[in-house]
Amino acid sequence: MALAAVPSVFADSGSAPSLSASLRTVEGVERLGLRFEPQPAIEAYELQASPGLGLPFQPVPVGPSDFQWTVSLGSDPAAMYRLEARGLDADVLWGTTLLQRIAYGPTPDELDRVRRIGPEAYLQEQIRAEAVPETLDVVDTAPRWQKVVITGTGSSSKLYIYMDGSGDAYLDDLRLVAGVGDDGSKPNLLRNGDFEASLAPDWTLSSNLVSSARSASIVHSGDASLHLVSTEAGESQSSSIFQTITPSLSASQTYTLSYWYWTSDKSARLTIRLSGSGIASTHDLSGSQNNPAPLFGKLKTAQATLADLRAWHVLRAVQSPRQLHEVLRQFLENHFVTEYTKTRDYFDGRGYDSPLPERLAVRTEFVENQRWREVLLRPAVTFHDLLKISAESPAMIIYLDTVTSRGDGKYVANENYARELCELFCFGVDNGYDQQDIVEISKVWSGWRLELLDAANEFNPLAARSTNYVNPAVTGSALNSNTNVVGVWGFKYRTDRHNNAAKHLFHEWDANGNRLGGKKVPDRFGAPWAGRDYSLSLPARSGNAGMQDGYDTLRHMADQPFTQEYISVKLCRLLVHDGFAHGYDFTDAETSPEEELVHQCMTVWETSTPKGQLRPVLETIVRSDLFRGHGGSLQKIKTPLEFAVSTVRALRVGLSDGSFSAETDGYGLYNFMNRAGRMRLFDRAEPDGYPEDAGGWISAGTLAERLRFIESALMPAGMSGKDDAGSNTRVNVLGVLQSRLGTDGIRDSGRVADTLLRLLFPAEGKANLEAYRKVAIDFLDTTDSGTISPLSSLTVGSTAHDQRIRGAAALLMSTQRFQEQ
Amino acid sequence: MNILTRRSFLSHATRLGLGAAMASLTDVPLVLQRALAEGSIGRPGLNGRVRKLLFLFLRGANDGLNTVIPVGDPAYYSSRPNLAIPDDPLQPASRIGTAIFPESGNASGIYAHPYSLSLGNGFAGLHPSLKFLSPVYNAGDLALIHRVGYPRQSRSHFDSQAYWETGAPSGSGTKDGLLYRAMLESGLANTSPLTGVTVGTSLPMILRGSKAAMMNIGDPTRYGLLSIPNTAAAKAKMSAALESADRARFAGKRDRELLELQYRNLSGTLDLFADLKFAEADNTFRDDVATDGDTDWANANGGGYFLFPTNNDKNGGWKRTSGNRADKYVVPTSSYDYFTRLKTASILLNDTDAIVSGVSIDGWDTHSNQVDDKNTAAGLGAHTGSHAGLLRRVGWTMYALQKHFTKYSNKCHWDDLVVVTLSEFGRTSIENSDGGTDHAEASVMMVAGGGVRGFEPDALGGVRRTGVWNCGGDGDRVVPWMTGPTGSMFRASGRYLQRNTDYRSVLGKLIRDHLGATQPQLDRIIPGYSSPEDSLASKGVQSRDNTTVIGEPEVV
Repeated sequence: MALAAVPSVFADSGSAPSLSASLRTVEGVERLGLRFEPQPAIEAYELQASPGLGLPFQPVPVGPSDFQWTVSLGSDPAAMYRLEARGLDADVLWGTTLLQRIAYGPTPDELDRVRRIGPEAYLQEQIRAEAVPETLDVVDTAPRWQKVVITGTGSSSKLYIYMDGSGDAYLDDLRLVAGVGDDGSKPNLLRNGDFEASLAPDWTLSSNLVSSARSASIVHSGDASLHLVSTEAGESQSSSIFQTITPSLSASQTYTLSYWYWTSDKSARLTIRLSGSGIASTHDLSGSQNNPAPLFGKLKTAQATLADLRAWHVLRAVQSPRQLHEVLRQFLENHFVTEYTKTRDYFDGRGYDSPLPERLAVRTEFVENQRWREVLLRPAVTFHDLLKISAESPAMIIYLDTVTSRGDGKYVANENYARELCELFCFGVDNGYDQQDIVEISKVWSGWRLELLDAANEFNPLAARSTNYVNPAVTGSALNSNTNVVGVWGFKYRTDRHNNAAKHLFHEWDANGNRLGGKKVPDRFGAPWAGRDYSLSLPARSGNAGMQDGYDTLRHMADQPFTQEYISVKLCRLLVHDGFAHGYDFTDAETSPEEELVHQCMTVWETSTPKGQLRPVLETIVRSDLFRGHGGSLQKIKTPLEFAVSTVRALRVGLSDGSFSAETDGYGLYNFMNRAGRMRLFDRAEPDGYPEDAGGWISAGTLAERLRFIESALMPAGMSGKDDAGSNTRVNVLGVLQSRLGTDGIRDSGRVADTLLRLLFPAEGKANLEAYRKVAIDFLDTTDSGTISPLSSLTVGSTAHDQRIRGAAALLMSTQRFQEQ
Repeated sequence: MNILTRRSFLSHATRLGLGAAMASLTDVPLVLQRALAEGSIGRPGLNGRVRKLLFLFLRGANDGLNTVIPVGDPAYYSSRPNLAIPDDPLQPASRIGTAIFPESGNASGIYAHPYSLSLGNGFAGLHPSLKFLSPVYNAGDLALIHRVGYPRQSRSHFDSQAYWETGAPSGSGTKDGLLYRAMLESGLANTSPLTGVTVGTSLPMILRGSKAAMMNIGDPTRYGLLSIPNTAAAKAKMSAALESADRARFAGKRDRELLELQYRNLSGTLDLFADLKFAEADNTFRDDVATDGDTDWANANGGGYFLFPTNNDKNGGWKRTSGNRADKYVVPTSSYDYFTRLKTASILLNDTDAIVSGVSIDGWDTHSNQVDDKNTAAGLGAHTGSHAGLLRRVGWTMYALQKHFTKYSNKCHWDDLVVVTLSEFGRTSIENSDGGTDHAEASVMMVAGGGVRGFEPDALGGVRRTGVWNCGGDGDRVVPWMTGPTGSMFRASGRYLQRNTDYRSVLGKLIRDHLGATQPQLDRIIPGYSSPEDSLASKGVQSRDNTTVIGEPEVV
C-alpha cells in the first residue's frame, strides 16, 4: 500500500494536501482511515484509488469528507490512494479578492458582474476611477414618485401619518400587508389606502392636518392621492392622520408597509408609522434618503455636523461604484490623521459660539477629503500630491501645532509636525532621520498658520485676511473680529513668524554642532538607492519666499527611498496582509515574497515618470502572487468600518421597484464602530492612525460587538436590539434570496444555505464550507426551541420563515470567516 | 513540530532584517507568546492568585494641596484664605501617631468635622472629606505620595493626560498606553479574554495600542449576544449553532489562530459574564462593621453601609427608621454612576482573570467655587463644596475596596491588589479670585492595597514608619518640605508646588514589584526608565529641568 498526493492546483502555495493514514480493524474488516489538512479555496476534494503500481487511479465513491474518510480495504491490499483537489478558478479567486480588498466587500450584483467581465477589466475600471460614472453627490431635484418599502413588527393597530413641521406632501397607494414583501397580491390591511374614496370615515384628520385632502392633480395610480397639508409637527395620534386597523395586528407577526410619495426639494420630513416601536418610516421628501447627496450639500455649505460627515463617508463606501477610490480616501484620511475635536477646540477659542466651532471643524475635514478625491482621479497622481494636500490642510496645521509655532527671533519652533512628517507621513520610524533633522524641519514649518480668507483665496496662503464684513458699520476691534468677517479658514503663510535662516536637512553633524556632509542612503537599500546623498539645504530667505522652505521639503521627502519603502509597506499591509515589515535588507540573499513585493513597489515608484505615481504601485501590489495566489485570499481582518460596510453590501441587491435589499442611512453604523474598538472616524487622538492588523481590533469584547451588530442589522424594524445597528440599517434577506432563487428556492434549506455561502464566502471554496453548510441547514430546519421543522413547511412571507432565514444569514455572518477579507 | 525558542526566533527575525520590528513580543506566534514572556505579569503567585491593579483617573487635575494638606506650612494658610482647611485644635497635625478618624456615630453628620485630619507625622493632615482613608491608612494599606509630577510639566489637560497615560511627553513618538504595554509584556494580551479592561464611556489612552485590543465596558449587561427574534430560546439556538460552526476546520491563514482564540474567549466570557452579578439587585456588598459607628440606620441588620453606593438607599446611613437624613450620605448623590462603574470594575477583577482595570472620576478642574461657603469665619466652611464631594468619592472608594476585596475575595484578594490614583497635574498654590485654583504642577498620588508598605506603629504608640511621602517629617524621605513664601509650594516657576517624585517612578515600582515585570520589561513599558538623566529608578536630578527627585518610593 502506498500514499501519494498530487500538487496540481498548488503551484504557488508550495504545499500539496498530503494524506495521512491509519489502519485499523473493525469487526474483522481492515479499514483505512485517511485524513488531510484543508487547503485554501478548494471547490472539491476527491479521493482516488489505484489497484496497484502503474494502474490508473479512479475516484472512490465516499460520503462527505470533513477532511477525512474511512475506506474498507476489502480484497485489494495493494491499493494506492491519492487526493485530488480542484481549486477555485484562478480568475474567480482574483476577482473575489479584488472585491474584498480594493472594495468594501462584494455585493451579490458585483460578484456576478466581476465574474462576467473578469478581474482584469474590474481592476482597470477601479484603477481608472475617473472613467467610472458616479453621481452620488448630485441631488436629483426633478419631482417624481418614489416608493418606500419597510418590513417590521406589528407593534399596534394604529397607523399614523404626519410631518415634522409645516409643509405639504403627496402620498399614494399606501399598503400594509401581512408577512415579508408585497407583490401586490396580498390583501391591504389598511382601508382606503389608495385614497380613491373620501378620507372619512377611514382616515381621521387631527387639527394640525385638517387641511389635508384628496388630490386629483398629482396621482400615482387611480384617480386620487392624499395631499398632506401640515400646519405644525406631528408626533402621535392626536397630531396625525390616523387609522385604526381592523382586525388588529399581532405584535409577534411581521408586516410590510409600502407607499409612494411625490419628491420635493422642500426640507420637510414625512413619517408613517405604527404606534409603539414597530414599523416606522421617516425620511425627507427629497427622494434621496440613504443617498449621500443631501449630506454632500450640507458639507459643501459648512452646515454639516460630525455625524453628517461620517454618514456621508459611510454611504459613499456602501454605494460608490468607485470603490477603490473610497478605500484610498479612507487610507489617506487615516494615514494623514487629524482630530476633529482638536480642530473644534481651536475654533471654540476663536470667538465662535456653538454650533460654529463644530461646523468649521467638520469643514476642514471635508475640504481635505475633497481635495484628495479630486487628485486621486488624476491618472498620474503622485504621493507628493497627496502629501501636499495634507500639509496645507487647516486640520493638520491645528492638529500638530504648526498653527501656534513660530521660529522668528528667540522662538524655538514646535517639533510636532516635523517629527510626524518623518516618522508617520513619509520615512517611517527611525528610518533616515534623527533628532537634528527634526529640529531643522521644525524651523521649516514656522509661519504655517491659519487665517480667515475670502472664499476665492481659500488656497492662497499669501492672501490677506478677508475684509468682507458682516456688519461694516461696527467700530473698533469688533469690526475685524472673527464673527464679523465673512470668509473661510485656510492656510496662511505668516512671514513674521518664520525662521528665515538657512536650514540643513539630513546632514551629519559632529558633537560640537558642526555640520559635516550630507546623509547617505544606507547600504541595505541596494541599487539604485544605496549611497545617495539625500541632504537638502535651504537657503536663507525672507518674506514670502520663506514659504518655499516647506514646499521644497515636501517635494524632497516625498520620493526618498525611505518614503517609498514606508508607504509601499503600508499599502501592502492595506491590500495584502499585515505581515509586511519595515527595514528589510534588500541586498540580503535571503528574501521573502513580502520583501520582494516591497522592492518591486519601490522600483515602480522610482522609475515612473513623474516619480512616485500611485497607480503603478497599486497595480504592482494587486497583481502580485501574494495577492492573486491561491493562498492569498482571506489573509486580513476587516476593520470595524470595513466590517459594517461589508455587512450591508454583502446582501445589497437592487430590487425591481428601485429600492435595495440592504440599506443604511450611514448614521447607524457609527455607534458600532466606536464600540468595536473606538474607531471614531475623523476624530482619532493619536497621530498613528487606526491599525490594519488583526491584533488591533480583535478581542472577545470587540467580537461581542461585531456579533451584536450583525444580528441587529439583520433584524426587522421594531425588534428589541435593533438600536445597536440603528433603525435605519435594514436588510431584507428574503429579497436577496428571492432575487437569486425565485419563489420556490427560498423554501429549500439546502439552496438557501448554498446561496448564502456563495454570497458571503466567495473566496473560501465550496468544499471547505461543508461544515458551515450543515450548520446553516440545521438552523434553517429547526425551530427556536430546537425541534425539527423543515423550512419547506413554512409559508414564504410568514414571520417564521422570515426570521428563520434572517437568523441563518446572521449566523453565517457571525462566523469567524466573515471577519476576513 | 520544531520547538521555537525565543532566542532562535529572534535570531531568525534579525536575519530577515526585522531586528527593530521584532523587539516586541507581538510578532511571535500567539500560542508561544505566553511561554516566551519574561517576568510574571498575570502569572499566579504561590497563593494561586494573580496580582492586579486598579487605577482611578481623577481627570481635570486634583488639588493636591487640599488633599494631603501641608498643615505645618504657614504659606498654605496665607495663600488660601478661603480654601484652607483649618488645623484641628484638639488633634493638631503636629501630633505623632495614627491618622485621625472622627467617627460620627448615630447623631452627627458623616462629614460634620470641619478640621483637617492629622496624619500623625507631625506635619500633614487629610482633607476631612477623606476621613474614610484613615482606617485604610492606619491598617498600613495606604501610601500618600505628595509632590508628584514629571519634568517640564505641561499645564494642558490634553497633553498632560497623554503624558501620564503613554508614559512619555506628547510628540515624543510614544503613541500607545503605558498599561497597554504592560499587558503586552504579559504575553496574554492576544490570548486571554480579559487582560486590561476599563469601565466607562471609552477605552482610555493608557490601555490603547494597536497590537492588542484591550476592552472597555460601558454597560456590562451589553456583553451578550442578540438573536432574531431576540428571545432566550432563539439566543440559545444561535449560540449552539455558532459553536458548531466554530469547530469547523479550515486551511491555515494569517489571522485564523487569533480569531479562533478570541472566539473561544468570547464564548468563554459570555458564559462567565452570564454568571457575574452585574445587576443592581445583586449589589448587596456590605461593610462588615457598623460603619462610622452608625448602629441605627434602617438597613443595619448587624452590618455596615453598602460598599457601592448606587442609589439613595445604599448611600451610607441615609435611610433610617426615623426618616431619611441627607447628612448621612457617605458620597454625593451625583456619584451613583461612578460607583456603578467601580462595582463593575471590582467584579471584573475579583471574578475574572483581568489583570488591570480602571475607572475615571471626572470634574476635578476646580477653577471656581471649589468650596461652598468660602466666607465662613475661620474657614470653617471650607470642608464642603465641589472638591469635597469629589474627595468623598475617593475616600469611600479606598475604604470600600479594602472591605470588598477582603470580605468578598474570590480571584483577587486585597493583598493582591493595588489601587492607584492618577491625575494630570496639581493646582495653583495660591487660590484665585473665584474661590478656585488654576492649573499648576505637582500633586498627590495615592497607592492602596494589602501589600502596600504604609503606616506602621511602634510598640509605644509612636510611628515606626509613616504612610506619607514628601509632606513632613520622615515622610519627606529625601527632599524636605520647605515652608514659607519661597518654600516648596512656590519652587516651580515661583508659583507652583515643585515635584520631588516622578509619577513614572511610582507606576514603575508597581509594575515591576507588584505586577511582576522584569527590569528589561519595565524599560520597554516606561521608555527611558533606566536612563540616568531621568532618575526614575533611584534618587537624582532630572536633567530635563534640573529638579531633584527621590526615585522610586518604597510603596510596595
